[in-house]
Amino acid sequence: MADPLVLGIETSCDETGIALVRGNELLVDAVASSMDEHARYGGIIPEVASRAHLEAMVPTIQRALGEADVDLSEVDAIAVTAGPGLVGPLTIGASAAKALSIGLNRPLYGVNHVIGHAAVDQLVEGPFPERTMALVVSGGHSSLLLVEDVATRVTELGSTLDDAAGEAFDKVGRLLGLPYPGGPHVDRLAREGDPHAIRFPRGLTARKDQEKHAYDFSFSGLKTAVARWVEARTDVGQEIPLADVAASFAEAVADVLTAKTIAACHRHDVDTLVVGGGFSANSQLREMAAKRCAEAGINLRIPPIRYCTDNGAMIAALGSAVVRAGVAPSALDIPVDSSMPLTTVTV
Amino acid sequence: MPVLALDTSAAVAVALVGEDGARLASRTSDERRRHAESLAPLIAEVLAEAGVDRADLTAVVAGTGPAPFTGLRVGLVTARTLALALGIPVLGVPSLDALAVQAVSDLGLQPGDEVLATSDARRREVYWARYRVVAHEGAGGVPVVETVAGPDVARAGFVAQAQLGEGTSEAAGTAAVHVVGEGAMLYPDFLPVAEDAPLVPDATVLARIALVRRAQGLDQPSEPLYLRRPDVQEPVGRVVPATGASA
Repeated sequence: MADPLVLGIETSCDETGIALVRGNELLVDAVASSMDEHARYGGIIPEVASRAHLEAMVPTIQRALGEADVDLSEVDAIAVTAGPGLVGPLTIGASAAKALSIGLNRPLYGVNHVIGHAAVDQLVEGPFPERTMALVVSGGHSSLLLVEDVATRVTELGSTLDDAAGEAFDKVGRLLGLPYPGGPHVDRLAREGDPHAIRFPRGLTARKDQEKHAYDFSFSGLKTAVARWVEARTDVGQEIPLADVAASFAEAVADVLTAKTIAACHRHDVDTLVVGGGFSANSQLREMAAKRCAEAGINLRIPPIRYCTDNGAMIAALGSAVVRAGVAPSALDIPVDSSMPLTTVTV
Repeated sequence: MPVLALDTSAAVAVALVGEDGARLASRTSDERRRHAESLAPLIAEVLAEAGVDRADLTAVVAGTGPAPFTGLRVGLVTARTLALALGIPVLGVPSLDALAVQAVSDLGLQPGDEVLATSDARRREVYWARYRVVAHEGAGGVPVVETVAGPDVARAGFVAQAQLGEGTSEAAGTAAVHVVGEGAMLYPDFLPVAEDAPLVPDATVLARIALVRRAQGLDQPSEPLYLRRPDVQEPVGRVVPATGASA
């Protein structure tokens, strides 16, 4: 029997994502984004995003169905992001998913967005091995997950205690006078600079932090250090070597992320690492992860960038895994959870 | 061939209504901050109670507000997506219309009488619209009203002054304006609510209005009546005077 056809809905932030997945095969991935509307505010405005989700929902579903040449009646299950994310946007997706569940008389699965960022890699490189480490890094998340079964057994080893990696990049971008979102601009600038020009701090790597926060991250102090460094230079009228600042900052972020992740792989005897989330597009992170994984004999899996940003494919991929694992469907009254624990795969 | 009607402009109201306007089943929930949790189960319940197959529905009717944003959107996205799944149209009806139409029946209003329908807009304001009664019973026995002013959002005191003329409503020759809706209930000093007035939109009434308008061939868009722009602030970021490469 063919694997079930799962429709995935993602609305945790500013992208309305709809995708269809059968087994580990992606049939279509349609995304509508309200990013352009947010750019002028220098950040995501939840109400603006929510309004855009409402208007984009039906057209995006129709576009996905049209591109895949699939009729809604062929859908076997509906998966939707139940959290974490912004409440207003999450509510739109969850409500749409429930309506589809009633209208099609098909089961509903509320799933975890962050775990979806890892699960999407199964569409690219096939099923995960028995134990997989997942580093999920984006503008909203920086988490290290031990994945023993992506549908049922995920353990959170660590997360950021303050800013997410992508968020820190956006903030440093603003500090350096770059347009929003700053992340890609800082990345581009960093490629022209010397990553060893300035030694910025590595958060939570001191010996005293090793016991309690071995796999947690902190980027707020780093961001402040960059601000102080720039301020001190500006105060005495010195030129700011923007490229070197960007490169040294990016180096600090990539260093901490990869060092802790590889330590976790060793500690938990895992030989496969998946890196997901929008920040996995970052060049320093990719380069350093590739180099360090090669040295450590770890198989590194980073899906193409289009799978790393928020999209319906990640939710349909996780939904597909969950359905195939025989997990019970979600009730029609499930809430959305802006801070859903990362050990919760389904609700 | 029934229609399903839902309104999330205040609490949550769901009804299954026959082509002739007869209520087959209805449910309400008073949870004001849990629209997304309450609505879908209530839809499933009315279908089950009336023994109606979802495939037999001919339209989904949705209250378009005005209303606080998040709850309103729950109803609209549910209606639109459910309609898509069933291959049937969505019919949007302003939620305040349902209050005004119901007021005509509940208060025994006659042509020429006026209704000020209100709902809670939070932030110490009310959503409001003012209607004139055209017929006590129109097509299908449904009262007919026409919008005279609004819908809009404002402080209760301002609405009272502008729409009730503060005391002039009792003047000879002027029809009374009957204030209805829970928006006014919050500001009794400004907006005295008529006795026995409806307080929240009834999904059954919403459905009846939509059925009449459908029969008349009227366009019934499901665009939300937000009546407020999103709260946004332009960022005031500290920017380093760029001396090297800059954007």
